[in-house]
Amino acid sequence: MKAKTAGLGKKSGRKARRIVQIVFFVIVAVTATGGALKEKGITIPVIPDASLHSICPFGGVVSIWQLLNVGTLVKKVHESSLVLAGIALVLALLFGPVICGWVCPFGTFQEWLAALGRKIFRKKYNTFVPTKLDKVLRYLRYLVLAWVSYMTAVTGKLIFQDYDPYFTLFNLWTGEVAVTGYIALALVVALSLFVERPFCKYACPYGAVLGIFNLFRIFGIKRNAPTCISCKACDRACPMNIQVSTAKVVRDHQCISCLECSSEAACPVPATVDMLALPGQVKDTFGQETAKAGKKNLGGEK
Amino acid sequence: MKITYKPLGVFVVVLLAAGIGGAKLVGLWKTESTKQPVAIREGEFAGMPNPLDIRGSYTWDDVARAFNFDVELALKAFGASDPTTKVNTLESIYGEASLPEGTEIGTDAVRLFVSLLTGLPHAPEGSTILPFSAIEVLRTEGKASSEFIEEAAARAYTPGAVQGVPATKSAEPATDIPPATGDSPGAPAATKTSAVAAPKIVQADLPASPVFDAATPTTSTTVHTPSPAKSGGESTGEGAVPGTITGKTTFKEIKTWGLSEDQIKSTTGGEIGHDLAAIRDWASSKGLSFSEIKARLQALLDAR
Repeated sequence: MKAKTAGLGKKSGRKARRIVQIVFFVIVAVTATGGALKEKGITIPVIPDASLHSICPFGGVVSIWQLLNVGTLVKKVHESSLVLAGIALVLALLFGPVICGWVCPFGTFQEWLAALGRKIFRKKYNTFVPTKLDKVLRYLRYLVLAWVSYMTAVTGKLIFQDYDPYFTLFNLWTGEVAVTGYIALALVVALSLFVERPFCKYACPYGAVLGIFNLFRIFGIKRNAPTCISCKACDRACPMNIQVSTAKVVRDHQCISCLECSSEAACPVPATVDMLALPGQVKDTFGQETAKAGKKNLGGEK
Repeated sequence: MKITYKPLGVFVVVLLAAGIGGAKLVGLWKTESTKQPVAIREGEFAGMPNPLDIRGSYTWDDVARAFNFDVELALKAFGASDPTTKVNTLESIYGEASLPEGTEIGTDAVRLFVSLLTGLPHAPEGSTILPFSAIEVLRTEGKASSEFIEEAAARAYTPGAVQGVPATKSAEPATDIPPATGDSPGAPAATKTSAVAAPKIVQADLPASPVFDAATPTTSTTVHTPSPAKSGGESTGEGAVPGTITGKTTFKEIKTWGLSEDQIKSTTGGEIGHDLAAIRDWASSKGLSFSEIKARLQALLDAR
């Protein structure tokens, strides 16, 4: 009976994230549709009509350079993007890339495709990419971030729009999408059937920005080694393939704070994997931690 | 302190809602550009709205409201019917209509029209021309000197005009513009998404004009039928002629064309904008006359 109750608790916890994800997906879809219709001269009462760019925090991030140097925002970006970037920054400082795991509608979209992939490949799903290759590819998104930031700074335009599967998804019907955008979206859809959140893992420049906050976030995922039974349920549950079972504290730059590994979800032992305040766990560089936590690496510190 | 699903979800939602709500309260939450052009800073027209700041995202209504004239004048001038249509639809429609090389009817044409209608100053881009229907409106309603209006008329395009006939002598200008409802069988796709007509374009004989000399067309007269237009396109500045300064030219471009920072500063009174800034926008933000700076810079470039 106790186990049954615990199971129900886990379900309701996960359900909370699903609900938040659906709410934000709907808000973004409706707003972007309203914005695109407004561009075509059609206004529907009640439906918000901001452009997708104006509600994307990454626009605020890539505008910072131009804002500081020229005093203007990148074309198509508005003050609202800066506000959202600020809120995302606060959230990331506290909880890491919680925007990726809870809010980003493109992450949600990939999770829905992952459910389909899991039905097809079952336990093999999300294990196709060889570990060594995967480890290298994880840094690709920083290259994307560097390229997008540089090109946006040089041109003053949202250069990533033409390659952005997220923009493509919500503008499929508008005629504003470049061929490269369609290709990017098709690739992500296809890959999502094999790998969970492929865009987040390998290409998302905003995920790259937020991922850095995993190194010094205030609340993080902590594993209580004495109670851990090493069943690796946490590893299997992690959509980002992080090895939680070998870490004391998860400082992996790819963690999206989804809590899927926690004792409230995958972990069968109560109070073993939880999100807790992490005093004194601050890293001083990207790959090294202060002496307090010992020698660790980005892929899950022991 | 343990953070579980529900408190985390609630915190995320509340922080986002509070952040957005707070930003709205203090006026920081802006999801579109304001539709009020910046004011002219200096000179006779100081304090008046600057036609230069009309953006492609303005609707005809926005423009008319900002410059205090009847929106019907603008609609008639550009063959538009819906005052809530954005003015940047002109760029896509006339762009796809394959106007002769070096000319454009776009957002800057609206700026020029407003300038001639209200008498407010504006230095149009060299490539900017007006449709003849706008000239008709300006001849009766324009507050600018008739000399300027006739200069614009000399370069105006007349839908359906006979090849080689000067625009000022052409037949009725707008009567054969198809209604832009998108309902007409065989209507170009461009008209289906816009209230602005996509007329056939004929280049008329154009007398030399001191105002528009930068882009006097040299190509032969051609009748063009517009192809389907993309909506919401933004001018990219592609196709600009190296060495010719337009409203989109940036400081970086004139540097790559061979001008030194000192040379540029000599034309602006000792200041220079950021590499990425368009010279016109920068001059406007500083309250300087773009047309004067442009003339000095162009002279330096031509002298090279």
